[in-house]
Amino acid sequence: MTDLSVVGFLGLSSALLAVGIFGVLTRRNFILLLISIEIAMNAAILNFVYFAGFLGGTSGLTGQAIAVVLIGFAATEVAVGLGIVLALNRAKGTINVAQATELRL
Amino acid sequence: MILEELAFVFLAGIAVVTAVLSLLVRELVHTILWIAIFFVDLSAIYFLLEAPFLGVLQLGVYAGAVTVLLLFGIMVTRKRIFSREAATGIGAVPVGLALVTFIFLIAAVGEFSSAPGTIHSYNPSDLSQNLFNVNGPWLLLLGLIMLGAVGGAIYLVREGRE
Amino acid sequence: MVVSFVVVGLAGTRMKRLEWGGWVAVAFSAAALLVGLLIGVGEMLSPGSYTDRQYTWLHLPPAPGAFPHGVSLVVGTLVDPISALMLIVVTVVGFLVMLYSIEYMHRDQGLPRYYSELSLFLAAMSGLVISDNLLEFFIFWELVGLCSYFLIGFYYERPAVASAAKEAFLVTRVGDVMFLLGVFVYFYYYATSGPAGGWAANGFVFTRGTAPFLAGSMGGSSPLLTVAGIMILGGAAGKSAQFPLHVWLPDAMVGPTTVSALIHAATMVAAGVYLLAVTSLFLGFTAVDQLAIVAVGGFTAFFAATMAVVHPDIKRVIAYSTISQLGYMVMAVGAGFAMVGLFHLFTHAFFKALLFLAAGSVIHALGTQDLFKMGGLRKPMRLTAACFAIGGLALAGIPPFAGFWSKDDVLSSVYSQLGAHPAYWPFFLLAFATVFLTGYYIFRAWFLAFSGETVRDPTLPHPHEPPWVMTVPMVVLSALAVASGLLIFVPSFQSLLLVGAGATGIPPTFSTTDLLLSSASVALAAAGILVAWSLWGNGRVVPTEIGFAESVRRLLLNRYYFKAGYDWIGAKGVYTVARAADFFDQFVIDGTIHGFERIFGSLSDRLRRIQSGFVSDYAAYIVAGLITVFVLLLLVAPYVVSRIGGG
Repeated sequence: MTDLSVVGFLGLSSALLAVGIFGVLTRRNFILLLISIEIAMNAAILNFVYFAGFLGGTSGLTGQAIAVVLIGFAATEVAVGLGIVLALNRAKGTINVAQATELRL
Repeated sequence: MILEELAFVFLAGIAVVTAVLSLLVRELVHTILWIAIFFVDLSAIYFLLEAPFLGVLQLGVYAGAVTVLLLFGIMVTRKRIFSREAATGIGAVPVGLALVTFIFLIAAVGEFSSAPGTIHSYNPSDLSQNLFNVNGPWLLLLGLIMLGAVGGAIYLVREGRE
Repeated sequence: MVVSFVVVGLAGTRMKRLEWGGWVAVAFSAAALLVGLLIGVGEMLSPGSYTDRQYTWLHLPPAPGAFPHGVSLVVGTLVDPISALMLIVVTVVGFLVMLYSIEYMHRDQGLPRYYSELSLFLAAMSGLVISDNLLEFFIFWELVGLCSYFLIGFYYERPAVASAAKEAFLVTRVGDVMFLLGVFVYFYYYATSGPAGGWAANGFVFTRGTAPFLAGSMGGSSPLLTVAGIMILGGAAGKSAQFPLHVWLPDAMVGPTTVSALIHAATMVAAGVYLLAVTSLFLGFTAVDQLAIVAVGGFTAFFAATMAVVHPDIKRVIAYSTISQLGYMVMAVGAGFAMVGLFHLFTHAFFKALLFLAAGSVIHALGTQDLFKMGGLRKPMRLTAACFAIGGLALAGIPPFAGFWSKDDVLSSVYSQLGAHPAYWPFFLLAFATVFLTGYYIFRAWFLAFSGETVRDPTLPHPHEPPWVMTVPMVVLSALAVASGLLIFVPSFQSLLLVGAGATGIPPTFSTTDLLLSSASVALAAAGILVAWSLWGNGRVVPTEIGFAESVRRLLLNRYYFKAGYDWIGAKGVYTVARAADFFDQFVIDGTIHGFERIFGSLSDRLRRIQSGFVSDYAAYIVAGLITVFVLLLLVAPYVVSRIGGG
């Protein structure tokens, strides 16, 4: 039996989310963007895991199950992200997102 | 109990530091190094949270597969592996936004009791039962999305798409 | 089981790209046939042997004031003896027509379209017969209408075909709108004030009851219900081509003959009758409604038969006879014998599909639909001639063919109600006269096409029997056209026929009056056939230009100028309304819209500046939105809640 306070974990995942957001907003390299997103995502998964631990019972199991599914989603997302990296690299010769501004009107 | 508190504080510190470092270092390969440490560290936190299955999954999927994928991405998009990223300034607005988010989240954390709670452990076989029965639809959805993602990734990197 | 049946039907639409789509469709419809027969026969033998499934997708709890009974909408299946009967018809005829199509259609373009539409039709039709509530019924009703539109317009390159498809769609649409209005009225009535409270809350389902099913249990006598009944009648008239919405069916004959056989003879047009029967059995009609239904049915039966008398097109003759026979069914339902109407539907489906397939065989061989160009086909096409004759005899109502038993039941069921409702008399007499006309026109067609020595138009190709995929369905249908009427000798089926008839009904068969009635009708039909023989037998052709007769002929050929009248209304009336609407649209609505357009245009010009196309900026917007939500939740919401005092 382990006893821990939930507040510490919440603080940790809040901090990680903030770091992720910071990365998404400032980095120009697509791979760094992906990494930032992964950090933010891990903050979310961490949420599920510790609440699963604190709740226990069936709802805890559900939380863990969702965490498993989320890890899968994150991996999928990296795969697609790298696909975009390659396509972007081929199309522009760079993976700097500042160069990809076709969305502008 | 004190030991676990200490272990958590230590691991949490490493997590935050590695996360920040991975975004701040100028060398992309060093980024990968730091993010790998970050992933391993999170896996340790999962073990601390009595979730060994998730810890192993984190090690395998994140520290293993995702890290290699990211490294691979760097390798195919650069001529030399070690090359510096052009310096990008840390704008006031992004930092401000991130900080405000953090402050709000911390404010919300204040609503929770800070008393230590017991962490329950699980039998992984119970977890697999749950995963395939009650939460089966989620797993199915994950599979379908993965299938779609594979298709999409293949389409993206196909030769001669232009 | 039932669900899988629908799935099988739907899966049939998936084989669009396959080379051998036709055979795939045949295989699927064979599977459907198997399942349909299993369910249908099983249900007929022991009612209630299948589990009906139901799923509620919307439930509104009772609300005092607006809907005291509450409303819920469900989807589900219900297999009772009447839907079992229909299921058998749909799957059997559907399978045979699919098989027949393989040869009949093989020279045409766009076959994948044909087969997928036909499969979709079969799926929709079987869904229609097993649906368990009015709303679901309506959904499938529209689906079959859509398929009918597609299939009539199969040769869409020809302008006449395209316009016929449009006509069919629009005319049935009038009926559909009426049907929907009828459903609304029923919903309103039962959700607010109906006697059987809770029916609305149960989702307007056709509940299975004590007898094989509930008969008229929801009935009541309110002017509202009369209106609803008339609306349902309108819907049925649109689908079943009853007067005055009959104009589309003859024109629908421009579609492939197989489609005419399946959709415009055996199944879809019968959906209208089925709707009336279901409504009559589960909801009940008021007396006014019943009179209206009998009037429409009886009049249509006679009216359509007169037009069939002179028409030179083999398919249109059969189409008019379909309208006429549908009139019989409608009349039986109106008289309160819904099951008798359905019995006639059942036998009619087989012999009418048979007639169409035999006609299709002739058309396939000669490439023309003009009766006056045919002739002498009896020798080269012995089997087709025999099949057509069997179909004709069944249609005319000569024992022991199927049409006799069911038509006789229709007539005697109406006759049994004459005492109670004297207003039925004229329509009964019209229906009786129709028997004579039926015998005449169908054998006129037979003699014109098959008797005589040779084909009249020497330019036509030499006729020959079609291959087995076409003859087998015809032979099977011939057997059914003979045998399906014998169902009346099964005791449990006899009792089924009387369901819903109420206490006033007499058994429609085996009584003295019935014997007299049958003899009279057989005599009339035989007389009709004799007249046809004396006029057209042995390949004779009567010169048509004879004074009075000629003017009548022209009137009939022009369908009593009904279509012209509709066109005139369409051209003048609708056009005037359209002009007014156009004016309103251009000046009032467009003016307003242009004004808005200018305002938003200038606004968006400014707004577009923030669309930098730069990914990080968008991410920043997202985070800003997130923070806004935080602010609202943590700061503004508590303040607002404290002010209103909620929480």
